[in-house]
Amino acid sequence: MLFFSYFKDLVGREVTVELKNDLAIRGTLHSVDQYLNIKLENTRVVDQDKNPHMLSVRNCFIRGSVVRYVQLPPDGVDIELLHDATRREARGG
Amino acid sequence: MVIGLRQFMARVGTGAGEPVLDTDNGEELVHVQPSVSIALGNRSPDTPGTLYITTKQVVWLSDLDRAKGYAVGFLSLSLHAVSRDPEAYPSPCIYTQIETEADEDDSEDSDSECNDVLDLSKVTEMRLIPSDASQLDTLFQIFCECAELNPEPIEEGEEGGHNWVFSTDQLEDETGEGDDAECHFHQNPTNLIGHSNGDHDLARTVLELQIHDQRFEDAEEMERVSDSSHHQHQ
Repeated sequence: MLFFSYFKDLVGREVTVELKNDLAIRGTLHSVDQYLNIKLENTRVVDQDKNPHMLSVRNCFIRGSVVRYVQLPPDGVDIELLHDATRREARGG
Repeated sequence: MVIGLRQFMARVGTGAGEPVLDTDNGEELVHVQPSVSIALGNRSPDTPGTLYITTKQVVWLSDLDRAKGYAVGFLSLSLHAVSRDPEAYPSPCIYTQIETEADEDDSEDSDSECNDVLDLSKVTEMRLIPSDASQLDTLFQIFCECAELNPEPIEEGEEGGHNWVFSTDQLEDETGEGDDAECHFHQNPTNLIGHSNGDHDLARTVLELQIHDQRFEDAEEMERVSDSSHHQHQ
């Protein structure tokens, strides 16, 4: 549940989601669920030449299982906190 | 369920022509939207048709041709969105991306040369165009809800999804002590994890691994241990 909690705290922030098919979508994180499905608002495609169809999309729902990376705002990342939390999570605690 | 878009021809009886669902496995119809066109890849829209959204999949059935229908499971829908910009597509629609079996390059999504020979399993984009555009937000919402009903199936065998693998050694290593020392860090001793996290049991386990693991024994010692009668001096 670690990343679910973590992303919940990032709701409202700008993120870029890179999918496993290489598509990258930037937008405001609207919501996330336990499967790390992501809903973005004000979306725009990062590489418009590769995916012109997506230009018009305002909001989108991205299936958690197709996400490769979620790029975070630098000030949205508390490395110490993440470090401890992931360590604890890995121990099963 | 098969990955990707596929043909769907199983319709109920004669009259309503609703899709046959897998009710034995709990599939239910969630929403029906009449007067919806479907556009696969770059092809022009197929119309008229009816959209059926179930708890497992999205089905479009042609109103004219009873043998024509398409379906895609929510497990295969990578993303969906409401598209309203006329520059991207002339009609407001639900835009979806479909995950295909061997996700090749984007341009494989449709057979633009041959009109009818379309390999459905390679379609990566699908647009659903309702004649009533005011329904788009509702449809988007329903897509979201049904997508959430279809998370990735979990592999059997672990609770809480803790199926972490830390090194290839772990795969061969049939350790009996998997219970309290869940983490096997077969890494070099400079790795901080076993040392710095204050959990003494874990630290001890990591150190023990490093000290007693046979692979780290000197070759000489091993020879001596296994072959006590023949001394081979270096």
